[in-house]
Amino acid sequence: MRGLRPLVFVGMIGVSALALAADGPGDAGLRVFETRIRPLFARHCTACHGEKEQNSGLRLDTSEGILAGGDSGPAVVPGKPGESLLLTAVGYGADDLQMPPDKKLSDKEIAALRKWVELGAAVPGATAERAVRREALDLETERQFWSFQPIQRPPLPEVQNAGWYQTPLDRFVLEKLEAAGLSPAPPADKRTLLRRVTYDLTGLPPAPKDIEAFLADDSPDAWQRVVDRLLASPRYGERWGRHWLDVARYADSNGLDENIAHGNAWRYRDYVVAAFNGDEPFDRFVLEQLAGDLLPSETSGEPLETDPARHERLIATGYLSLGPKVLAEVDETKMEMDIVDEQIDSVGRAFLGLTLGCARCHDHKFDPLPTDDYYALAGIFKSTRTMEHFTKIARWWENPIPTPADLARKSAHERQVADAKAAIDERVARATEELKASLESGAALPKDVEAQFPEKTKAELKRLRDELAKLEKSPPELPTAMGVSDRDIVNVQVHVRGSHLTLGETVPRRFPLVLAGRDQPPLPADSSGRLALARWLVSPDHPLVSRVIANRIWRWHFSRGLVATTDNFGRLGERPTHPELLDWLAAEIVGKRTPGDVDEAGLESEDGGSRMEDGGIPRWSLKRLHRSILLSAAYRMSSAYDAHAAAADPENRLLWRFRLRRLEAEEIRDALLAVSGRLEQTMGGSMLNVANREFIFNHTSEDKTSYDSRRRSLYLPVVRNHLYEVFSLFDYNDASVPNGNRGTTTVAPQALFLMNGEPVMEAADALSRTLLSDGALSDAERVQEVYEQAYGRPASEREVERAVAFLGSEAGAERERAWSNVCQAVLASNEFVYIR
Amino acid sequence: MLRASGVGFGWLAAASLLAEQATADVRPASEDADPLAPRQPDFPARAKRVIFLFMKGGPSHVDTFDYKPKLQADDGKPLPFDKPRVQFAPTGNLLRSPWKFRPYGESGILVSELFPHVAQHVDDLCIMNSVHGTNAAHGGALLKLHTGSDTFVRPSMGSWVTYGLGTENRNLPGFLTICPTLAHGGVKNWGAAFLPAHYQGTPMGVASAPSSQARVKFIANGRLSRDEQRRQLDLLAAMNRDHLAQTGPHQALEARLNSFELAFRMQMAMPEAEDLSRESAATHKLYGLDDPVTADFGRQCLLARRFAERGVRFVQVTHSDTNVQWDQHSQLKEGHEKNSREVDKPIAGLLADLKSRGLLDDTLVLWGGEFGRTPTAQGKDGRDHNPYGFTMWLAGGRSKAGIRYGATDDYGYYAAENKIHIHDLHATLLAFLGLDHERLTYRYAGRDFRLTDVHGDVVRDIMT
Repeated sequence: MRGLRPLVFVGMIGVSALALAADGPGDAGLRVFETRIRPLFARHCTACHGEKEQNSGLRLDTSEGILAGGDSGPAVVPGKPGESLLLTAVGYGADDLQMPPDKKLSDKEIAALRKWVELGAAVPGATAERAVRREALDLETERQFWSFQPIQRPPLPEVQNAGWYQTPLDRFVLEKLEAAGLSPAPPADKRTLLRRVTYDLTGLPPAPKDIEAFLADDSPDAWQRVVDRLLASPRYGERWGRHWLDVARYADSNGLDENIAHGNAWRYRDYVVAAFNGDEPFDRFVLEQLAGDLLPSETSGEPLETDPARHERLIATGYLSLGPKVLAEVDETKMEMDIVDEQIDSVGRAFLGLTLGCARCHDHKFDPLPTDDYYALAGIFKSTRTMEHFTKIARWWENPIPTPADLARKSAHERQVADAKAAIDERVARATEELKASLESGAALPKDVEAQFPEKTKAELKRLRDELAKLEKSPPELPTAMGVSDRDIVNVQVHVRGSHLTLGETVPRRFPLVLAGRDQPPLPADSSGRLALARWLVSPDHPLVSRVIANRIWRWHFSRGLVATTDNFGRLGERPTHPELLDWLAAEIVGKRTPGDVDEAGLESEDGGSRMEDGGIPRWSLKRLHRSILLSAAYRMSSAYDAHAAAADPENRLLWRFRLRRLEAEEIRDALLAVSGRLEQTMGGSMLNVANREFIFNHTSEDKTSYDSRRRSLYLPVVRNHLYEVFSLFDYNDASVPNGNRGTTTVAPQALFLMNGEPVMEAADALSRTLLSDGALSDAERVQEVYEQAYGRPASEREVERAVAFLGSEAGAERERAWSNVCQAVLASNEFVYIR
Repeated sequence: MLRASGVGFGWLAAASLLAEQATADVRPASEDADPLAPRQPDFPARAKRVIFLFMKGGPSHVDTFDYKPKLQADDGKPLPFDKPRVQFAPTGNLLRSPWKFRPYGESGILVSELFPHVAQHVDDLCIMNSVHGTNAAHGGALLKLHTGSDTFVRPSMGSWVTYGLGTENRNLPGFLTICPTLAHGGVKNWGAAFLPAHYQGTPMGVASAPSSQARVKFIANGRLSRDEQRRQLDLLAAMNRDHLAQTGPHQALEARLNSFELAFRMQMAMPEAEDLSRESAATHKLYGLDDPVTADFGRQCLLARRFAERGVRFVQVTHSDTNVQWDQHSQLKEGHEKNSREVDKPIAGLLADLKSRGLLDDTLVLWGGEFGRTPTAQGKDGRDHNPYGFTMWLAGGRSKAGIRYGATDDYGYYAAENKIHIHDLHATLLAFLGLDHERLTYRYAGRDFRLTDVHGDVVRDIMT
């Protein structure tokens, strides 16, 4: 997409044309050009920037070429060597723009170039302005791309197999299958379904009593009640909050170069879990994460500073701060822009499914996102305070979130300090008076009064001061949360090639043109614009945000998105397999019946206002979306293999059967703990064993991480650069970039872990101990028990026989060991780690 | 899919644990193909594998392989040109090297007293004096060197190489890193990022512990005998086969079945490869295993040879302890002398050993740190980080032997002639292995990624 950025340098070239026309400097400049510059260009530059090659679009063998500059803008700004890229390049000051690349020019040559530019950068014979006028973005054409199209709630398609579908969305699935001559797999049996949905919604295996209850429930709404029970379980938020944390690139340490602890990131994690459990409307969830600090206060009656609701909103903005940062970057301006970049990139992928970060150095190569769009957003984030300071090791900003008790402690401490100071002052004053009294009248006080105090007084003062120092050193720590606030509001210049050393035109803060149009109202001068950005994202007509989240939810239920590239809805992303279904789901989320009938007022109010549309249906409710998916026949299909369908659609894109799914890393660990009866269900809080901002890994390479816990995996510290090995083995997300689509690899080290890893052997031991502790059970009954616990089904006769044969006739410790080996095989098996 | 295998213990006992010579000619396009099968390179390869001797902290080039007579002459004078716009720490005037240099070998290349043993092999070295990077801090520079990016999470070069070429021994990891540092990028430096997990580097030990304790995680079962575990795996396999019969054909489930067999074989292959007791006393001596000063790094180098010999594609060894080893901001003399003593003999031993076994012909050895050091003094006797010009060297793999390539300026501050950026180095490494850095791409999030991003020129002049 080269050529999208409007030309902004015409004026400058105009200046140069004027300089040429004038007498004096122009003549001198021309002389310099002919005698010094032209030979210099010929010697060092024109091999790559000449007739044969025009690297980066720059040509230095013609006057027009010199004036026009290259892809990065004009090479020279007449009279202004400091703003001329040519001089930046030859000065070797910018790391990524150094010319000639092999060897720096001599100081004399650089001086000549500088002189020539100062004199107006005159070149002979160039009379016509030559401008590489970049084409303006044709918004109408670009908006034809599917994901930029407005969302229409599509009519339900006509289908043949009227007996199959249960919910509207089934008809979209069935339509595609029928068109391909395929039929959906038969419904899954109850045990399979319960195991599937329990892992899906809670990340844990179903308890035997839940299986019994479901099997016994023959009522028509048995399934619906299971779904509702699981959606109401706090385990739901732990499972689905974790999905969101993948998208939020959540981590408890910075990673990258200086791996220091995000000691307060857990507050954001707990906020997310609570938001999912409370079915916080997704639009509100977006507003809080991007601009919670800017949301108007609610009327809770609490003072703002200690208002728990406001604290939650401040904690939510931790989202913007969680990214990995190069905290020891010596170039502070670069660090700042890198942090802004990380935010733009993450917000783009998470909410828009667009790789906005690609437009940092050049216009996006594939999507209609010119560099200006990027720097328009950069202004919003540069006007946001993410960092306390940038001096290495830089320090991220944290918002205070004190309770009234914290504040009371703080003011008590301040009072103590003030009292202590007053006591010292008073003591000094008294002693001075005493000293004065002891002097002859009229004699001046000595310079160092205290030196003249009696020893006893000195000692007392020392004691008082020591106490004060101690007191001042230990102020009560106020709780804080990673997050952001607004700072000085700025618009940002385009950074040519992404470098802050080569700045171009200033772009006012605004949203991407292709989505928001050219006639955007200017963002407020007194605010970063984050709140406006968030409101724009969740406006009901936004073509991307509801599609992207609907697709994410689908992906997490079905292991593959309707758009397989969940984080990329651009040209390089995949096209939806079921575009109408995606739009139907997106319209469901925003509560859109038909275009135009939306109750705007409800969404415009500050707190999200009324959540109900006319029919009383909550908007942006994810639990409601879960229900419509889970109650569908599509979700309840079995995973039965069908050779005909497999040949026609080997990837199962059309969903002719339910996709087998390997448990995710956390599910594997949690399941090991759960089936061996050792899972602790405590929620929330931090498990980091180093203090906030302390090194998790410093130069010593000593490993301070510990994962020795029985709590759910969600609560284990997520240490970037050194993830818990069990997690990284099983395709945990990288925790540095948003990822809504974890991979599933099968590698031998996973097998090594299951064969030899302590967590697995401990689980097997615990499970077998429990089995053996009941002396009344026969071995066959014990095998049944293991299968119920681990697989949620009874063992077949053959399976019982096989296990009992394995146990042999061992007794005592050998027998316990044999039992543990059986249990370990069960826990390592395909059936344990795959959901059907 | 993992390699199919129905073989049991008997096969294992008899099987050669050295490299399996098999090739396939396509890169895995999907999960269908074996992601680690050996693959033909883009064009005839010079080297088949890489051993990277990583000197963490930034060894000083002007004190080792980049002799600067003017620096010696102008000791104490100010640097006669500008220092970089951004520096890690302020430095003062020029500081001469406290070590003497002398010519070695037929090439007559000057090497300092710090590397008397390596110097004996100078005619095998291709010394690149003009390497330069962009990041002046350890973390950024390590990431840049290992992954090509100091700002984004990208696959490590070892992962790219394994992705490009597969591995020649399926019973060992394709990419091993011995005693890596956990700081300054940590796992990212051997991570596969968005490449499939098969290409992830496998760490053995950590820099903070002696190399004698370095083991691959979960490689051994402390409780079960081999026979017991075999019985257990047979039970597991029977269960998995029943399950598979129920689900119908399923690639991942089949692969998973096989992965346990492969894991079982790895359990056997790894201890064999690690077992240095099979090496002769002369070999131990050659690598300095008989001397406590050199034993730790010597063991790493010897392991590297054993892995290279067994078909591991990319082996990295790291010289680092609980300090930032080569990072002499002060006490340059003491620090560099200690460091070079620890590595000089083992590296020379490795070069000699590779050569005598004919392995140097197709093994590319790369030596160097994340940056060099300033010719100007930090404090009275230290040098600061210098990514603007430093030295790395190659040996073997049909690199041009006995040459110096490129140059820094008169004082050794900036790369000045025939500059080799880190991206160029990466492009060149891949070229040695027969891989075209512009064609070795992986599609992720809708974009084709490369080790060299959009940069990198192959330095043909150092290839034979």
